[in-house]
Amino acid sequence: MPPASAAVLSTASPGPASGTSRVALAGNPNTGKTTIFNRLCGVRARTSNFPGTTTTLRSGRAEIAGDRYVEVIDLPGIYELHFESPEGRIARTVLAEGAPTGPVDAVVVLVDACNLPRNLVLVGDLLRRHPRVVVALNMVDLAARRGLSIGVDALARRLGVPVVAVVARTGQGLDLLRRAVAAAIDGPSQHRRTDLPARDASIETVSAWAEGVVSDVLDVSQLERSAIDPWTERVDRVLTHPVSGLLFFAVVMGGLFWTLFTLATVPMDLIELTFAQLGSAVAARVPEGPVRDLLTDGIIGGVAGTVVFLPQICLLFFLISLLEDTGYLARAAFVMDRVLRRFGLPGHAFVPLLTAHACALPGIMSARLIPHRRDRLATIMVAPFMSCSARLPVYVLLTSLLFANRPALAGLAFAGCYLLGAGAALLSAMVFGRTVFKGAARPMVLELPTYKRPSLANALLSAKDQALSFLRTAGTVIMAICVVMWWLSAYPRVPASAEAQALRLTAAEAGVTDARRDELLTEAAVVESRAAQAGSFAGRLGRALQPVFAPLGYDWQLTLGVVTSFLAREVFVSTMSVLVGGRGDADIDGGVIDSIRRMSRDDGRPVFTPATAASTLVFFVLAMQCLPTLAVTRRETGGLKYAALQLGYMSALAYAVALVTYQSLAAAGLGH
Amino acid sequence: MSRHPTPSLISRSRSTADVRLSDLTVGAMARLLRTPMDGEMSRLLRAIGLTLTSRFRLCQNGDPCIIQVRSTRIGLSRSVASEIQVVPILDESC
Repeated sequence: MPPASAAVLSTASPGPASGTSRVALAGNPNTGKTTIFNRLCGVRARTSNFPGTTTTLRSGRAEIAGDRYVEVIDLPGIYELHFESPEGRIARTVLAEGAPTGPVDAVVVLVDACNLPRNLVLVGDLLRRHPRVVVALNMVDLAARRGLSIGVDALARRLGVPVVAVVARTGQGLDLLRRAVAAAIDGPSQHRRTDLPARDASIETVSAWAEGVVSDVLDVSQLERSAIDPWTERVDRVLTHPVSGLLFFAVVMGGLFWTLFTLATVPMDLIELTFAQLGSAVAARVPEGPVRDLLTDGIIGGVAGTVVFLPQICLLFFLISLLEDTGYLARAAFVMDRVLRRFGLPGHAFVPLLTAHACALPGIMSARLIPHRRDRLATIMVAPFMSCSARLPVYVLLTSLLFANRPALAGLAFAGCYLLGAGAALLSAMVFGRTVFKGAARPMVLELPTYKRPSLANALLSAKDQALSFLRTAGTVIMAICVVMWWLSAYPRVPASAEAQALRLTAAEAGVTDARRDELLTEAAVVESRAAQAGSFAGRLGRALQPVFAPLGYDWQLTLGVVTSFLAREVFVSTMSVLVGGRGDADIDGGVIDSIRRMSRDDGRPVFTPATAASTLVFFVLAMQCLPTLAVTRRETGGLKYAALQLGYMSALAYAVALVTYQSLAAAGLGH
Repeated sequence: MSRHPTPSLISRSRSTADVRLSDLTVGAMARLLRTPMDGEMSRLLRAIGLTLTSRFRLCQNGDPCIIQVRSTRIGLSRSVASEIQVVPILDESC
């Protein structure tokens, strides 16, 4: 041990001289760690799951001197190293055994200058664990404004490690930090002072040590005065109030989802258009046949089906990052905790649940905000009950079938679908809380960070990270699903039927007018697409499964519609329109709706009675008919188990409620 | 600021040995005495800054409530607040 008074550097154990060095970035949550990381690494960062976990770890290359680069590993934000949480375990593993790419040569610990006593607890932990530590004292500008004058040199002497004052938001002090990191890596192991708390010391002991350090470098009365922040207090009083807090929440979330819905549709339409044009371009160059179909409908369709989710994912994470940076996200979770806790969900669950109204995929991905695993799983399980935008066309079709010429009632039924979905989600969360995920949601203990101006760069980088991580892990699975589902609904090819051939022959006869010829050819195409639909694997599955859906009032055509919509719900509308001879577009007009209304079963009875239309509607509200969602659930929960449970539970619930709906309406005489 | 006369620092009468965080009135200062909940929750509270040595102020009452330890503001469910035993600091409030 070195002498107690000294903060001397020994000359033993020189740092690595060559090869890529690694620097771990540690710090409490809300200390500006992300901002520092983004400033150091810029767009060169990548996000990946820490091996064997669903917790993500960001790493990137940062230039520290001249053309010298180091790998920076952004450890999850933690308050202390010994805390038993996935984040704490990852931090301990990286420090003890190294990052996935190799050992860590130095640790930069970010410290909030306005909150020294608590932040120094982590510093104390780290000093005991790593021989090369650099302290970055962040937000020194804010600390100065609050009347805190921290002796940076005194702190460096007291801790025995380099301390650099920085302002992450403006980049002030970053060059000094880079130089300090380079020097720490190249330099010898730092000697530790003897007054450091032991490695297994209680948090009270470490806190007492931290208080001691603070009183050596700072006038403690300044600390007491700086803690009084009447402005934050006043704003919090409004934003966390049971009434005004909820109102403000509604306004902010309304704005968020309005932005999400209106802004994301522009690039989404553009993506669909681009891929449609790409498909036509390929179709024009490749000879007709299975290869062309695979290219245009299978592969291009599959890529389009994946990429189309990106605008919503990017925009959502961009907006969430802005909200998180301002400090409002924590207040919103605080306000919603009161509401959601009754259903066994944490306050943070509001982000996934609301987002799932646009699309369950970004909804489930945003569940990463929820700190506790049990709460996160419960939220992921119920988020797909929320009525996503893919259900919209189905709701439009079925409510207008249910209440033809009565738009007010159709509108009510439409709203009812949203309520049914949300109600099912909340009640299911209660059920899960009593069965699969025993116990209530963990009571809220949440730091309410100071309000800050958000960083645009952080938001853009967060959107980019989430988009890439979605494409890498879920995108490939979703594309494969799209190709397989396309194949199932297109194969085996059905030979041209005698009926269609007869129509074509008639059309080719001499003396047929042009108008009549077009009519006959269109009819032949309709007959053929009906036959192709029914003869494909999906069609055969529809016929085979019909007895299963008979108690819900479905004939084989309706069963086919339900089965094909497991690719994506809106496919139901195009399947139905193909069955009545439409071109299979998702956008259908009144004429097609009328044809669907007049659809008849093999025995001549109508397909859609009020009872079947209502039971189909209920089924679509509740059923898990979205394979991409299951792919994302599998990734976010780290296994197939929860994806299977989600599929089984939602489908069973949908079946049961649709059964009750059909049978009771049929008993009431609405089955004809 | 001493808006609250000393006795009203505690809204419900209990023996001083068993005062809960949820019993305090807004503005009251207190010191943590005991966190009798499970280890993980107790550990989280201490990690976030509510250690046995720290003083805190109740900023907002209700469910959830807000306390402030030094400059850290913490939101707590009532179920947590009602389990935390505290010692009110009678000579100062703000």
